[in-house]
Amino acid sequence: MSTGITSIYNMGPELPLQASEDLLSTPMFNLIHSLGVDLHHAESYIGKTTRMSRFERLSTDGGQLDGSGIDPAAEVPVRTDIDATMEIFAKTIVTNEQVVLFENSKTLTKFTALLGQWLREKEDLLMRDLFASSVSYLNAVGGLNGDQPSNISLNDVNNIENILLGNDARSMLTSLEATREIGTIGVRDAFLALASTNLAADLQKVQGVVLKSAYPTQEGIRPEEYCSISRFRFFVSSKAAKTPGISLKGNTVYTIPMYGLEAAAKIEQNNYTAKIGYRPDWVVSSVAQNSQLYAKFAIARAITNQNWISGLNVTTFLPS
Amino acid sequence: MPFTIITGDSFTSEGIGVKIPLPSSADYFKTWNITQLALTGTVCVGGEWFGPKFGVGASAVNDGLRSRKAGSSAILIDNFSTATASDGFTYVTTVPFVEAQSANAITSITAASPAVVTQTNTYSAGDILQFYNTTGMLQIAGMNFQISTVSGAGYTLIGLRAAGFAAAATAGFTRRISKMLAVEPQFLYITEITKATQAVVRTSVDPTAYYVVGMKVHFSIPASFGMYQMNQLTGKIVAMSSANYTMTVDIDSSAFTTFAFPASTLSPTATLFATLAPAGASTQLNPVTLVQTGYDFQFQPFRTGQFTPYLYLGAGSASPAGAANDVINWAAYKFEN
Repeated sequence: MSTGITSIYNMGPELPLQASEDLLSTPMFNLIHSLGVDLHHAESYIGKTTRMSRFERLSTDGGQLDGSGIDPAAEVPVRTDIDATMEIFAKTIVTNEQVVLFENSKTLTKFTALLGQWLREKEDLLMRDLFASSVSYLNAVGGLNGDQPSNISLNDVNNIENILLGNDARSMLTSLEATREIGTIGVRDAFLALASTNLAADLQKVQGVVLKSAYPTQEGIRPEEYCSISRFRFFVSSKAAKTPGISLKGNTVYTIPMYGLEAAAKIEQNNYTAKIGYRPDWVVSSVAQNSQLYAKFAIARAITNQNWISGLNVTTFLPS
Repeated sequence: MPFTIITGDSFTSEGIGVKIPLPSSADYFKTWNITQLALTGTVCVGGEWFGPKFGVGASAVNDGLRSRKAGSSAILIDNFSTATASDGFTYVTTVPFVEAQSANAITSITAASPAVVTQTNTYSAGDILQFYNTTGMLQIAGMNFQISTVSGAGYTLIGLRAAGFAAAATAGFTRRISKMLAVEPQFLYITEITKATQAVVRTSVDPTAYYVVGMKVHFSIPASFGMYQMNQLTGKIVAMSSANYTMTVDIDSSAFTTFAFPASTLSPTATLFATLAPAGASTQLNPVTLVQTGYDFQFQPFRTGQFTPYLYLGAGSASPAGAANDVINWAAYKFEN
């Protein structure tokens, strides 16, 4: 029906759409697997393997002088060498000039940011793989889901604390002193525990759990932290280690590394920690139509003291 | 330019699965069984794999196109998954990875030393299998074992001496996994420790693929395994045996209590598993032999274990990696863009 009114029905918008003022967020998982690990640096031009050495403590057996003038037996100190091989990882994006020309969102800038995010995410996963591959874990048995391993329980957490304390591991985080704020509770100095976000519901049910919101202060508390159980503060990531289908009942088994100071190390190569570069189109393409962005980094990783790291294999209370 | 050949090579099949590293990935992959092409059998003489870039036409996991002789010079083309189903191609981007096969039911595991598994399978000697959902041997559910003396009806677990177990397993499942974990040296499952001035430790897989003499290992032995005195000790490897899956360490266990798996009836409340993990190395020079140990850079440093991505080629006369002694040519292709 014609009304003589100029409306959007007979004169649509000249431009069919507009971009919002900014892009939406690019998803990024929690980067937790470098928390608390020692950072070392490797020099250039002297090989790709870094050696970290530790002198083991001397025996405290005997040692008393009886006055006879006989010297005590000498002890040969023992040095333990931990080696780690430097490895290089890279990612590249090749972009046609027409994307740059026609795209509205400053693609090269955004692609550079994506590569920067890839650098940190890849590094996190590499450290996760170290924890998953080269550490001894115990199956949780205190949960009630009837699986092997079971869901996590306070007894399982305490068992790991016993192991770490028995091996003279040092806690990582200082205590949070209690305050008079209602609903809060003091948090002891603690070791670290790294868990999957799929375990969040189970963590909430562990006896004695202190959720992050009940800490006496939120100052300096990382967003990745979820709770405190016994002497461990739990950090969660959707990319934490898990192996599908290997429990007794065929459910996913989640691995939770739990550790103190100097349990693991990350070694960065000097001048190669994070390289982001651009190759112009006249270099990449014979007709100068494709340009290239790349990101590279070098990393070596190692478990530096097995006495100060342990952990749990767990399943979830409800199958996952 | 529709395709670019990015790499290619040739290998002589040992009758076991083969991993082809593909650093820049691949969109199309082809194999030729040069040995069988010259014959007039009915076996696989070529395979083709189509990557994710082909969308709905991409090859499924453990599949691809198979070219096989028709008992003459003529060639038939089918899929690896169709009649006479056999392992095909599997593109792998992460580790540890369940390779090529889905869950495979077992019929039994004998309570013998070594344990023998009855299972219809297409595994190869040296494969490592993840065991789970076992019945009658719950104490090994979740462990992995390397297999030997393989036939289509079963295989032997050198790393499991189960004569002390109360009963045989009557059911369960296995899946093949990567031999290398994401990072090496990897932790290993312990299945036996002797009481001796130098303890002999048996593992579920051949430890010589991961450790060498001179390296140190850290033990995690739950009390449920009896030899609790070994728990949290660190020892140095002084000898190894590939044939027996053992390593000898400089820990005197002669006065320790006996190592034994917890009974199956105690699952799932008995703490599992007994494991060892890499704890560095100590340099040692033998003044008599002048042999120095503790500096084997092939095994000792922490490093990436399994390179990814790679393409796994199933083994066997009906599969792309061929039967033993077959010469296999392969080429990997990639789109220009």
